[in-house]
Amino acid sequence: MKITAKPLPSVELPELRQVGKPLRRVDALSKTVGATLYAGDYYPTNLLYGKVFRSTIPHGKIRRLDVSQARALEGVACVLTAGDLPRAVLVTDMPGQTGQKRRSGSDAQVLATDTVRFIGEPIALVAAETEALAEQALRLIEIEYDPLPAVFDPLEAMQPGAPQIYPPDNVVARWRIRKGDVAAGMAAADVIVENTFSVPYQEHAYLEPEAGVSWVDERGVINIRVCTQVVEHFRSISLALGVPQNKLRIQGTMVGGGFGGKEDITVEIFLGLLAKATGRPVRLAFSREESILAHSKRHPYVITHRTGVTRDGHITAAEVKVISNSGAYVYLSPYVLLYSTGMAVGPYRVENVSVSSASVATNNPFTSAFRGFGAPQVCVAYEQQMDEIARAIGMDPYELRRRNFIHKGDLTIHGQELTSAAWLEETTTRAVAALGDPTPDWGSFKVGQGFASYMQSYGRITWLHDTSQAWVGLEMDGTATIRAGVPDLGAGQISALAQIVSEVLGVAMKDITIYHTDSAVTPLSGTSTATRQLYMSGNATLQAATAIRKNLLERASRYFEELPEAIDLADARAFVKGHPEQSLRLAELVAMCASEGLPLANLAMFKAPFTGPIDPETGQGQIWPDFTFGAQAVEVAVDTETGEILLLKSAACHDVGRAINPAAVEGQIQGGSSQGLGYALMEDLAVEQGRIKAGSLSEYLIPTACDFPETQVIILESGTGVGPFGAKGIGEPSFTPAPGAVANAVANALGVRIHELPLTPDRVLAALDKTGKRSG
Amino acid sequence: MLPEFDFLTPNSLAEALAWLAQRAGDAAPVAGGTNIVPDLRSGRHAPKALVDLSRLAELKGIRREDGYVVAGGGVTIAELLGSPLVRSSARPLFEAARLFANPLIRNRATLAGNLADASPAADSAPPLLALDAEVELVSQAGTRRVSLVEFFTGVRRTVRRTDEILAAVRWPVPEPEAAFGYTKLGLRRADAISVVSAAVCLVPAPDGACSRARIALGSVAPVPMRARAAEAFLTGRPLSAETIAEAARMAAGEASPISDLRATSGYRKRVAEVIVRRLLAEAARTPQPQES
Ligand SMILES: Cc1cc2nc3c(=O)[nH]c(=O)nc-3n(C[C@H](O)[C@H](O)[C@H](O)COP(=O)(O)OP(=O)(O)OC[C@H]3O[C@@H](n4cnc5c(N)ncnc54)[C@H](O)[C@@H]3O)c2cc1C
Repeated sequence: MKITAKPLPSVELPELRQVGKPLRRVDALSKTVGATLYAGDYYPTNLLYGKVFRSTIPHGKIRRLDVSQARALEGVACVLTAGDLPRAVLVTDMPGQTGQKRRSGSDAQVLATDTVRFIGEPIALVAAETEALAEQALRLIEIEYDPLPAVFDPLEAMQPGAPQIYPPDNVVARWRIRKGDVAAGMAAADVIVENTFSVPYQEHAYLEPEAGVSWVDERGVINIRVCTQVVEHFRSISLALGVPQNKLRIQGTMVGGGFGGKEDITVEIFLGLLAKATGRPVRLAFSREESILAHSKRHPYVITHRTGVTRDGHITAAEVKVISNSGAYVYLSPYVLLYSTGMAVGPYRVENVSVSSASVATNNPFTSAFRGFGAPQVCVAYEQQMDEIARAIGMDPYELRRRNFIHKGDLTIHGQELTSAAWLEETTTRAVAALGDPTPDWGSFKVGQGFASYMQSYGRITWLHDTSQAWVGLEMDGTATIRAGVPDLGAGQISALAQIVSEVLGVAMKDITIYHTDSAVTPLSGTSTATRQLYMSGNATLQAATAIRKNLLERASRYFEELPEAIDLADARAFVKGHPEQSLRLAELVAMCASEGLPLANLAMFKAPFTGPIDPETGQGQIWPDFTFGAQAVEVAVDTETGEILLLKSAACHDVGRAINPAAVEGQIQGGSSQGLGYALMEDLAVEQGRIKAGSLSEYLIPTACDFPETQVIILESGTGVGPFGAKGIGEPSFTPAPGAVANAVANALGVRIHELPLTPDRVLAALDKTGKRSG
Repeated sequence: MLPEFDFLTPNSLAEALAWLAQRAGDAAPVAGGTNIVPDLRSGRHAPKALVDLSRLAELKGIRREDGYVVAGGGVTIAELLGSPLVRSSARPLFEAARLFANPLIRNRATLAGNLADASPAADSAPPLLALDAEVELVSQAGTRRVSLVEFFTGVRRTVRRTDEILAAVRWPVPEPEAAFGYTKLGLRRADAISVVSAAVCLVPAPDGACSRARIALGSVAPVPMRARAAEAFLTGRPLSAETIAEAARMAAGEASPISDLRATSGYRKRVAEVIVRRLLAEAARTPQPQES
């Protein structure tokens, strides 16, 4: 592939002092020296240890459950089963943060009442004086099942007569997009290309397995200190515990990685139940193996594309069928599926489209959020399909894409207008050009290059009416405090807020303290999901800081006898622009404001666009606030004798709008890239008959530092995002193009496409055998 | 969770042997603990006592002795990597050590632990088989030497009695003209259990024919194995591409791999042939550079 970078449109970004610089993160030092306390690091006195008793079969009726011996064991404080919690429901839908009703049928059981539907489903809870006693108690629990017929394949689960996990047809959600006239579009095509692609499960494999501690305080409030992406779960946890919402407090810790796996409730309800039942502090921490068993997974998909195209590369129609495996419970499957549906054809303008999607219940581990939220799976499919279309009409794969890329002002397939820059050519050409000339083939190794372009939303679904709040205040000595309910997943979520305040108020990063992730004392900022935190809480923080700045400038303008616009704040001083000698220490200015009663603190709420639901028949309407665009390109060498794939080069280019902290942005892109490359090349949960066979990290292999070269990161800044200072989101989008790029590079190397991820050596050899292309 | 056990910390080999003899059957040695601790956690192994060998000077050190290289059973994989003697006179073992686990594990994992654990995928085994190594088993009753080929008897089974300690591994200093090769195939490039591994040793005769060959394979049979038929076939034959290809085919034919999460048996057989062929071809071409 020979491509030169497309020149960038001229963009004038405002000069900033703090934002845009790779400043040291506020949490860097304490994490580096090991001072940060994670959720598993708290051991209050008088502690009990919790454990969960889980199902070992994929589907069955509980004929007999006897916990009497466990209860009788000395040192066991309590054993709970479903019989002890008559009204408890586990809310698996989006938290009702802004008053939305949850989807009917989306609730699950906290503990299995009479039926278990997947291996690992919780059945009983134990709290005991030591961890060893709690484990011993688990072994004393007796259970007998009447197994029920189980179904594991979503296509089989949709057949009449299949075992019913989610009556009446196992379909937990459907979406459809109908736009234009697909039949006419297909008729106008010179060539119709049809392919089916499938993508597997993925395990989040964060460093920190789920953990927490809970206790009831002197106010009668149930406190739960936990690693979570969603503080607002306190509402549904209170529902499960049968206590008012203001009697349940989540104290979120720094999170050792989330990636969507801590977006659903994990240990919280169990902790609350045990603390409430015993009146003592309880700790519950999953081992790695239990973590893999207990939390959600990325949805496997089967995606079929039928695309009509003219000889000159104009896509005339697209028909896409999307099936995802929801596992035994609904969780976020409907929303994940919506993302897949809206993004099904990728960043292309297609006038005649039909997308039909369904998410189907099976007796498998349940699936829910995972970085990208359904967008990466469809990217794997649509970008392979684009390469296949290019091959079918004999056109360069970039040229085909260029002719069909969507642009600013165009409507997406769901009828949403693109309002920010859509730098697809700019990012794709740069990613591809960065690879340079292909390495020549050697020995039994064949080299290939491939790329994937994408668009992906950031911010929550707009009909969920998302809001975020942040509080900013100045102290008398000129230092600043931020309070925001933001969970920090390690991506720099809170540090970005500090950097924004530093910019607006001229306070150094080291002079800013941030309190975060506490449902009782920090204003609720919404979830650290959907690549929304910088967009939402960044804007809320910007609003709060700007309101304070206004007061400071007003007071300073009287002091300097200049207009407020002539005054600026930096380096802990207020000064007259262009006349730095006319300046005042920020602390003095703060004191002046305080003595006049001018507010030095502000609680701001930022609201995303609020829209109504999309049309259920046609899927038309606004779904997201805005989109990020980008591309990744990789070069691989495939050993045609052993099937091994070496990744030789990788380059990613994304328009992030504005990089608040370029080092943090690069970190996200490196991490997202590796996670996506691992998904394509090695990660394999090996779920058979509902059982995860690769249930530990010696079997479920994620990439190490030796496996991939560093991804060359190219950050573009169009300045057009809806986040603070024109930022877009990058946390999830950084994953999205990586796996499809690998699939295309491998197909390019081998001359044959493997329609299924991961691209294991076995599959590579099988594909070569089929075409007789194996060397040796 | 770890079950409870006694942790015995002898100060000498003699003391360790006494403990093992006294608690025969319910005590197991522990060195780096990188196999036995996971086994204890998972409940696969439940000794009542662990006898800690990690501080015994008698099990340390790598030295030359009467035409042999002798490595103490307590030598860690990291120590193998740091040893000039291993680098020069046990090249495949050095290569295996480089690809072994990760730096943390290499600092703890010992040679004896790797062999005594007797996993079909023990990475030090194929190189040591190619070097024709033997192990020294010591007990209160005395010392015996067993060739490594005979040491392994099945998946995680060896001839070692429970009162014996694997005190050392020995192999003859290779002839200067001997050429070696080693490859490990895993599903990722670090910290991966071998899917297939192989080590070869070729000693050419002055006329270029093969005067001796050893071909060792890991992860393709219940025990790390030698491909005896392929070795016999090569011996006395010229090292041509055809002979090498045939020997590789034979070696793969001698393997009896299982299918597991990492690979199918068919894949293992097929790839065993590829890597043996490559290693033999490479060894036939390049006399091993001898570093002093
Ligand atoms: C993350 C990880 C990665 C790994 N990667 C690899 C790898 O790449 N390749 C590989 O081959 N292995 C690997 N292993 C397995 C393990 O590290 C090695 O087998 C290691 O060499 C074991 O040595 P140890 O000293 O830790 O043995 P221990 O765990 O201490 O002991 C293992 C067994 O040997 C016995 N034993 C120990 N010393 C003696 C002795 N002197 N005499 C008699 N019996 C003894 C013990 O009783 C026990 O049965 C890995 C393990 C982990 C946890």
